Parts: sequence; structure tokens; C-alpha cells
Amino acid sequence: MPSEELGPLPAGRHGFSREQVAHHQRERLIAGLASAVAAKGYAAVTLADITREAKVSRRVFYANFESKEQCFLAAFEVVVGHVGELVGEAVAGVEEWPRRAIAATRAVLSFLAAEPDLARLLLVESRGAGPAVGTRFSAAVHELTPLLEQGRGERPPGERPLPASTEETVLGSLVSLLHRKVASGEAAQLEDLLPDCVEFVLSPYLGSDEAARLARAAAKV
Amino acid sequence: MRALPGKASRQPPGPEPVSRDAAAADQRRRILEATAELIAEQGYQETTIETIVRRAKVGYATFYKHYPDKEAAFLALLDAAIERTCARVEDAYRREEGPWPDKVGAALGVLFEDVAAHPSAAHAVLVEAVAAGPEAAARHEAALKRLAPLLRPGRELNPRQARLPETLEETLAGGVVWVLSQRLIGGETAKLRAMLPETIEFVLRPYVGEDEAAREAGEVASELSA
Repeated sequence: MPSEELGPLPAGRHGFSREQVAHHQRERLIAGLASAVAAKGYAAVTLADITREAKVSRRVFYANFESKEQCFLAAFEVVVGHVGELVGEAVAGVEEWPRRAIAATRAVLSFLAAEPDLARLLLVESRGAGPAVGTRFSAAVHELTPLLEQGRGERPPGERPLPASTEETVLGSLVSLLHRKVASGEAAQLEDLLPDCVEFVLSPYLGSDEAARLARAAAKV
Repeated sequence: MRALPGKASRQPPGPEPVSRDAAAADQRRRILEATAELIAEQGYQETTIETIVRRAKVGYATFYKHYPDKEAAFLALLDAAIERTCARVEDAYRREEGPWPDKVGAALGVLFEDVAAHPSAAHAVLVEAVAAGPEAAARHEAALKRLAPLLRPGRELNPRQARLPETLEETLAGGVVWVLSQRLIGGETAKLRAMLPETIEFVLRPYVGEDEAAREAGEVASELSA
């Protein structure tokens, strides 16, 4: 994650192009915002906190972002992108739908448990960071819809189709649950919820008995 | 000249003068309504006491007579909205004499109706409270924990009752909150009515199975279109 990868730029001549330095400054500001938000919460973070963490000037901040909200949005995108990559890696090459859904659920929970500060930025701080972030949050959750929709193919032919809102409600339920656990400081224990989450995700598509069986098996891996 | 509807309703109904208590209650109602509207429009962070008093048509002194700061007004608004909605939902659940799925259907029906009828207050409770500090978040959480147990008796109808996940009720309640808050954020509360049967089906399915949940949803759908 950027917060670990980014040290201060070495002093003196460094041979980076102007674009590279500019890109680097942007990344440092994003990492700076993430540390400041982890330390005191989005609402209390000031521009000075961000530039101090990033070790850049106020002018550099405004060259990259119009506002604190815009900088938060960029940080949010980095975290969403990272989770998306983790999910992508987890399901790559996995053919069977139930195993894909389980792998994705496991990847998300492991990430949140391993990175409690970023989990908080993603799920809790984002809620108070203005309407643009709110819209982006909904869209990011919606991006997981196709992964679940594949589960519709598992239902026996001739069975009545699931309600159109099934994926939205399943994802929303999980997001709400994870949000509440992270908000109450229980991010580190999220992996314990793997069987519950797996059963919840699989049930509409496979029926509750099969979902419960696979959830128990997933917990043993 | 035609009286403005908002103004007309604020006039005392009879010739008697408004008592001091009634006037104070009316001020608080106006302040809280204005707070809810502004927060729904621009978010909690952006809302200021200045915009609240302007919208409520009261002076600063009146605001501070009732609330020490913006957060106090917001928390009072949350308490009032949560109490009203939860009491109505619990009442609908209790008064429905049919089997448990009917009770849940009635309770969710009232919840959806209430959100559609009071979108600004619902926005405060379901969307903004989560992100407006620990006190507000605790109220959101308490409301969810108050209503989620209405689902618990459904476990007795399930052959796997002992094995249902312990988190099931709060997870389902979170899903309902998500559906409602997404419609509120998108300004699409008009769609809530149409989403009610599917949401009822979603909530009942883990307890009574797919067929029974779909049957209940179908009944609600035909009642809505009648």
C-alpha cells in the first residue's frame, strides 16, 4: 500500500522527470491524507495535517487537488482499486461459481482485517466525506454485482428467477455488517465472520442447506 | 391573497392565544424540520446554525434557547425520528394478527411508508447519522438493534434454527438500511413502494425458505396494486 511504499523523496538531484515527481507528489499527498485520517478522523483533518504528513507544501497540494474532499476521493479510489485487484487475483482461474464467491469474500475480509486503518477509511470515514464520495461508494459496491449475478446460473432450470434486487440487497447487507464491525473497532476479528458471510452470499443462489455446508467447509481452510 | 400553506398551518386553530409551551414546541419543530431538510440537501458537515435559523425563520437566540449547538439539534432530530418510526413499526408488527411472515410484512410496509413520507428525517437517521460523530452513530446503531430482533422469532420456523448464523438478523437489517439509504441518496423514494415486496422476500427467505417468502411477497405486491 502507498503508505508503506512511499518514503520521502531523496534530497538533491534525483533524475526523475517533472511528470514523475508530480505523480510522486500526488501519491505522497494521498498517503499523507490516509495517515492523517487514521490519526484523527476525516472531519478533524486539516490541509496542514495532510501536507505535514506528505512533506510537501500547500502550493503542491493545490496543484494536485482542489480540496480535502477531492484528496480523500483519490485515496478512496486507491483503496477501492487495491481491493478490486485482490478480488481479481483471488478469483483468477477459479471456474466454479461458489468457489469464486468464497474466494472473493475471503479476500475482502482478509484485507480489511490486515489493514484496519484502510478498512476504516474505506467503510467508515468515506460516509462522512461528502456526496461525491458517497456516490463513488455506492458505485464501488455495485461493481461487485456481476460476481454475484453469476450465481443465478447455479439455480435449477425452470425455477422462478430471483428478485432483481437480490444482488443489491446481499451486497448492501454485507457492507452494512462490515461497516458496523469496523466502526466499532472489530476489524481485526473480521475473518471470524467468513462462514456467516459465505452462507449469506451463497444462500439465495444455492439454497440455505448447500450454502451452510460450503460455509462450514470454507471456515476449515 | 392565498395564505402560504406553511404559514397557515402555524396559526393557532382557535381564537385562544398560543400558550408559551405550545410556542416553544412549535419553535423546536421548525428548527428540527429545517435541520433535517438542510442536512438531507447538503450533508451534516456543510450545514450551519446560520442556515438552520434562516430556514426555520427563527432568531439565533431562539435556536440557542433550545439547543447548545448544531450537534444537539441533530441528535434531538435523530431521537424524535427514531422514536416515531420505531414505535410505528413495532406497533404494526404487534397489531398484525397473522402468522410471523405477515407480521414482518406489515412492519416493513410501515417502515418503507414512513421513509417515503419523511425523507429528510429518514436521510438524517439512515445516511448522515452514520458519519456525524460517535453520538449520532450510536443512535443509528441502537435503532437497528431495536428493530432487528423482530426477525428473531422467524428462527422457530426454520428446520435449521440452531445453525442459522448468529449475525443473521443484524445482517438482514443492514441490507434493509442499505436499500432505503441508497434510494434516499439517489432521491428515488418514489421507487420504495415497488421495492417493498422484493425486500420482504429477501428478509423472510432465510427463515421460511424461498417458496414461502415469495408467496408472502406476492401477497404484499397484490395488496399494493389493489
